[in-house]
Amino acid sequence: MTDRARVNLWRVAILVALLGGWEWLTGIKAISRTPGLYWIDPFFISRPSAIARRFVYLASGEVRLSLWQMALSTVQSTLWGFVVGVSTGFVAGLVLGRNDRLARVLEPYIIAFNSLPRIALVPLVTMIFGFGLLAKVVLAWTIVFFIVFFNTFQGARAVDADLIHSARFLGAGERQIMRTVIVPSALAWTFAALTPSISFALIGVVVGELLGGESGGGLGYLITQSLGTLNAADMMVALVSLGAIGIVMALGIKQVERRLLRWRPEYRTERA
Amino acid sequence: MDRASFEVLEGEFVAIVGPSGCGKSTILNMIGGLVTSSAGAVLVDGAPVTGAAPRHVGYVFQKDTVFPWRTVARNVALGLEYRGVAGPERARRVREAVALAGLAGFEEAFPATLSGGMRQRVALMRTLVVDPEILLMDEPFGALDTHTKLVLHAELLALWEARRQTVVFVTHDLSEAITLADRIVVMTRRPGRVKMVHEVKLTRPRDVIALRESDEYAREYGRLWHVLGEEFAYPQGGHPQGGPGK
Repeated sequence: MTDRARVNLWRVAILVALLGGWEWLTGIKAISRTPGLYWIDPFFISRPSAIARRFVYLASGEVRLSLWQMALSTVQSTLWGFVVGVSTGFVAGLVLGRNDRLARVLEPYIIAFNSLPRIALVPLVTMIFGFGLLAKVVLAWTIVFFIVFFNTFQGARAVDADLIHSARFLGAGERQIMRTVIVPSALAWTFAALTPSISFALIGVVVGELLGGESGGGLGYLITQSLGTLNAADMMVALVSLGAIGIVMALGIKQVERRLLRWRPEYRTERA
Repeated sequence: MDRASFEVLEGEFVAIVGPSGCGKSTILNMIGGLVTSSAGAVLVDGAPVTGAAPRHVGYVFQKDTVFPWRTVARNVALGLEYRGVAGPERARRVREAVALAGLAGFEEAFPATLSGGMRQRVALMRTLVVDPEILLMDEPFGALDTHTKLVLHAELLALWEARRQTVVFVTHDLSEAITLADRIVVMTRRPGRVKMVHEVKLTRPRDVIALRESDEYAREYGRLWHVLGEEFAYPQGGHPQGGPGK
């Protein structure tokens, strides 16, 4: 058996053990004749079988707001927040990274804003932007922007001066230097921020959805709704879906990163 | 640096040797306009150098400055791209340069997959492809092993024989200077001055391997080694000509 197969086998084994243990433990009655009294109460953590049933039900057309619609709403907001956050953070990082005085002037403001716990902004964002898509995107943006900004900023500052000089000797103007030296150099740093960024975009969006109610939609709404009806199974459906969305998006980013950074030795050896 | 004055003729290959820290690289950077001198001037064709990176000057750095995110061909194409040479003309010149550097077949390779010698070849051809009149080289082969160095010496000489650019080559390797140059500028220790300008009386074209066994080479080496040796012999500050470092 190859090493890879062995690792995968263990992964599956752990999953089966976890799900099996969960299902089994939440099925044991504390006092056999009293109904509804369990060693570990599925009321709080539900059971895999119940979650699977709810999953099928919520994903079906029988509900007013299906799981798919909610997931789509979350994914859509996350991607928007990610795209807007990454692009603005990248541009800001480049500009400040190549403009020392401006960076020094703005430094205290940037640090102050970044030190703010983002969750504290939720009520304010809600006041300004309401409960819809826009509010969620803004929340995701407030986190993603800074992650990408700081990395790009570092990257733009760390550009090797000799690379700039050699470009200049080859006849490059300032804009050509920006395009062919500084941007590709800084991109390597920006990419390092992308995987955490997509996760943080998802956090921002779900936080917005927790407060946003039905008009905000999304899986965060399913969670608050389940809390209202004390439905642990539905809550688990939302959590599992969020986990799956998070993994798929992170893997997607990794693929893009690998393609664009294929000149780096560490990406080549990984593929080989 | 202090009273470091010397002339380079058109089409001439001049090497600058001297102990480290004497300002060899600074001279190159002054010619290239990367640093300005506090006193004195660098004149190219009678006009003082103003601004960084004049158009007719090519610079090969000591450090590996090949762009790691560009393939060999796209690295070589850089200068042409910057100067607006496009289409088939650019493709043709890149193809020729890559072939000339002995890198045919590696056009699409990224620098990380190449050896140090190959990367420095890319850097050299990238500079030569735009046909500079003046070529500044700052210990370009300093990080390479002896064998690779010799191979690149031969290649550089062949390329130079064909186009005869004016070359200023900084090195601390005396044998490298003798092998390549028409004249050698020997610098003193800090504060760097021109100690002497030595004319290398070796005929061209030179065979970089056979040259080293010849008596003429040994004589040149002996004479220069003696002069340069004086610069290493005295402890810092105790040099009869040198005051405290600047």
